Amino acid sequence: MTEREAIAAAVPRAAGIGLRAPHVQEILATRPPIAWLEVHAENYVGGGPALRGLNLIRRDYPVSLHGVGLSLGSAHGLDANHLRRLAALIERVEPVLVSEHLSWSVAGGAYLNHLLPLPYTEESLEILSRHVGQVQLALGRQLLVENPSSYLRFRHSPIPEPEFLAELVRRTGCGLLCDVNNIYVSAHNLAFDAAAYVDALPREPVQEIHVAGHARNDADGLTVLIDDHGSRVRPEVWKLYAYALARFGRIATLVEWDTDIPALDVLLAEACVADGLLYRARAGASCAATA
Amino acid sequence: MLPLRELQAAFETALRGGPAASAAAEILGDGLAPEARLAIYRHHVFTTLTAALEAIYPVVCRLVHEQFFRYAADQYVRAYPPSGPCLFEYGNSFPTFLADFEPCKHLPYLPDVARLEWALNCATHAEESAALDGSALLRLPTEDLPRLTLRLQPSLALLSSPWPIDQIWHVNQPGADSDALVDLASGGVYLEVRQSEDDSVFRTLDPATHAFRDALSGGACLAEAADIAFEMDGVFDVPQALRNLFAEQLPVDYAVSVPSPEDA
Repeated sequence: MTEREAIAAAVPRAAGIGLRAPHVQEILATRPPIAWLEVHAENYVGGGPALRGLNLIRRDYPVSLHGVGLSLGSAHGLDANHLRRLAALIERVEPVLVSEHLSWSVAGGAYLNHLLPLPYTEESLEILSRHVGQVQLALGRQLLVENPSSYLRFRHSPIPEPEFLAELVRRTGCGLLCDVNNIYVSAHNLAFDAAAYVDALPREPVQEIHVAGHARNDADGLTVLIDDHGSRVRPEVWKLYAYALARFGRIATLVEWDTDIPALDVLLAEACVADGLLYRARAGASCAATA
Repeated sequence: MLPLRELQAAFETALRGGPAASAAAEILGDGLAPEARLAIYRHHVFTTLTAALEAIYPVVCRLVHEQFFRYAADQYVRAYPPSGPCLFEYGNSFPTFLADFEPCKHLPYLPDVARLEWALNCATHAEESAALDGSALLRLPTEDLPRLTLRLQPSLALLSSPWPIDQIWHVNQPGADSDALVDLASGGVYLEVRQSEDDSVFRTLDPATHAFRDALSGGACLAEAADIAFEMDGVFDVPQALRNLFAEQLPVDYAVSVPSPEDA
């Protein structure tokens, strides 16, 4: 079995939800029929009740670790201490997937608590490739790298983002996490074609999809979409998700919700919508294969 | 075009509220001022870090009102951004910052309330160890007991204040009686913080027990800790204090300290 086949076997090709602290006890008490759960790794590198809850949940559900703090794109290098803590967490949790972002957060010793944009240059590609390689070596497994949501373009950024990701995959053997909401948000903010972006991503390395809600803000008369994970997935993002499924096939999909976290039922209902589209995608994919 | 390291340094300056010109020169406006695009990122940095502080310091936030808290948090984030990515570890210097923060000097108890909240936060995220079985000590020769040192549960924190910060904390919990008054002249407290099943809890200790546990958790041997407790309470019951520690599953490891040459 190849590594990709092994991962595909372990990760449900179904919808999961981001596990957030307010829902842990309810999930433990009611064991809702959800295919899998994803947590932010940084919330669990300590100990205590949070880790105890996760240890109980992982007995019954496949769990994925989603990192927000490795700062893969920092020019000054990775935080070796954080990488060690992440490796120790992975050993405990045995996640089905581990993912991070195409972004940076650390400069001058300050952690800026944001997934900040990178200019897509050969220099950035070298730095990213080196860091993804270091992370995969330290963790002893493949990392999925997620496309960011963007609010600005750099003057000098000659490599289109999907090409940059494809080249990162080629150089490091990493996988990709395709965040459909991020594509939608960036496409609006930076005026590019979201569907063309999906088409430009390499098909094979994409092993997970994220969907989430976003906000529409007014900035000096211009509508800027903000990736705030604070509402239901918008219809236009579901549409782009269906388009992405047609390209990537039936793969693990996660509904993220991080601000104004709703009742668990609302998240489960969102996951049902994704499952419905996943089911149709499978039907569509098998039709296409037959044709 | 700047090398990535310099570009990130320019962003760091701008996103921490400093001059944005160098970062702005690197980006396209696309219908907005480049600074306005940077402001989208800066806004996120400040609001999420303020929210992280609010989550750790809810009582402080209530005591000073939300609007003032946001102002204080803004000043704090500018001066002391996080040094690592785990937000439950951010804000350890906030109590000291508040102590020196001129606009809240009229609330002298505020830094101590913040210290209590920080201790509760640390206890919630500490990794507890398996408790030491007290019978392990039975094997020790009696003459070694004075030099016994105990490592206590990582979540344990001992703090004291000249202000009734325990009462202040309780009356500022969600659902507490909003008419409850705290007599600030009612005196100080000695507190012990520990992890609980769901998060963390604190309770008051008598001064001698507090001093005894504080000395032990700081690495003092049993004889030294007992001496410190006796200063507070001439009839402090050391064997009972030791039994209580084990009953509360606080010790996780022990050692017998080697006598220093001058003691020999």
